[in-house]
Amino acid sequence: MRQELKRVLFEALVVSAAGLAFALVANVASPRGLSLTRDYFPGPGRNVPGIVSGANSNRTVTAALVGHATWETVAARLRGKGLQPIDGKEAIDLFRDPQYEQELTVFVDARDDRHYQEGHVPGAYQFDRYYPEKHLPAVLPVCLNATKVVVYCAGGDCEDSEFAALALKEAGVPQEHLFVYASGMTEWATNGVPVELGERKSGTVRPAKP
Amino acid sequence: MNERRNSFSSPERLALLARWILGGVFVYMGLVKAAHPVDFLKLLRQYEIIESHLYLNFIAVALPWFEVFCGLLLLGGIAVRGAACISLLMLVPFTLIVLNRALAIREASAIAFCAIRFDCGCGAGEVNICSKLLENSFLILLSGLLFAFRANRWCLRYGLVGREALAVRR
Repeated sequence: MRQELKRVLFEALVVSAAGLAFALVANVASPRGLSLTRDYFPGPGRNVPGIVSGANSNRTVTAALVGHATWETVAARLRGKGLQPIDGKEAIDLFRDPQYEQELTVFVDARDDRHYQEGHVPGAYQFDRYYPEKHLPAVLPVCLNATKVVVYCAGGDCEDSEFAALALKEAGVPQEHLFVYASGMTEWATNGVPVELGERKSGTVRPAKP
Repeated sequence: MNERRNSFSSPERLALLARWILGGVFVYMGLVKAAHPVDFLKLLRQYEIIESHLYLNFIAVALPWFEVFCGLLLLGGIAVRGAACISLLMLVPFTLIVLNRALAIREASAIAFCAIRFDCGCGAGEVNICSKLLENSFLILLSGLLFAFRANRWCLRYGLVGREALAVRR
């Protein structure tokens, strides 16, 4: 019995070692593989929001552990990191500013491929910060030439815009040029402004919803 | 004699079913997480139990594929008891961690325990906590069965060492 248990435990050890080797190789081979050493969430730790709701209601609970942060909380957090938060009206004003056509104002979408393709601010560059080697070569020169760089993600609990903005800052974009549109795409899509589908400058634009 | 060899006894049928259910669940859940590693990384971070980014990355990178690997072993009937032991060692702490988070959410939100829904990072998206706990308890039971009882029907290589390594039956 004891011998048998030993044998099973040894087997478990072999399975673990082989499984870990398999996992590491699969991660390297996967186009979506992550880096083992990169700090994807730099800065001091804090309570991380998550979404929870009652089964029979759509109530969203706000608490230390869960829920959507208010605009004031998000804005204070962004300022604490040296970033400038902007609201929906300011974002639309920047989008309609003639400087946007000249790329002196640039919008940067910090979401992944799927969400970007489903709809983004017309003309926005994609910068999925988890895969900087894929996006940074195209985004960085444009951001360095711009005087206003507006970074956004989904909005709500999404933190990718602020981390993307910090990554751009680290890459050399002046801090005073960086703005975070904290309410993000969720708000944009309902703000009466157009949404571009597919690739950047794809020509497929969903008209503004009233 | 041949008839006896080819017929399945009830415990063997049960073990085969347990192996395929557990293996299938592991492969499916693992692949879902492996297909969206960033989402899994973010969900892991929400638990706030891992401080170091190196450990966080390692778990986000390794766990999904590790689950796929264990699932494939179980489906194929390779090192079955070792894989069942590993699945027990994964499922029990995961279930406790998910339970702990659900309790914290209940405390923070004052909603009924079974009304809590959240994405636990298990691979199935947002789930009801009571369903999740029941599901995990069922998987733990299956793992325990496979770990405790020897049943090597339709196994490619039931054990890796000793005489079990040679016992291939179809």
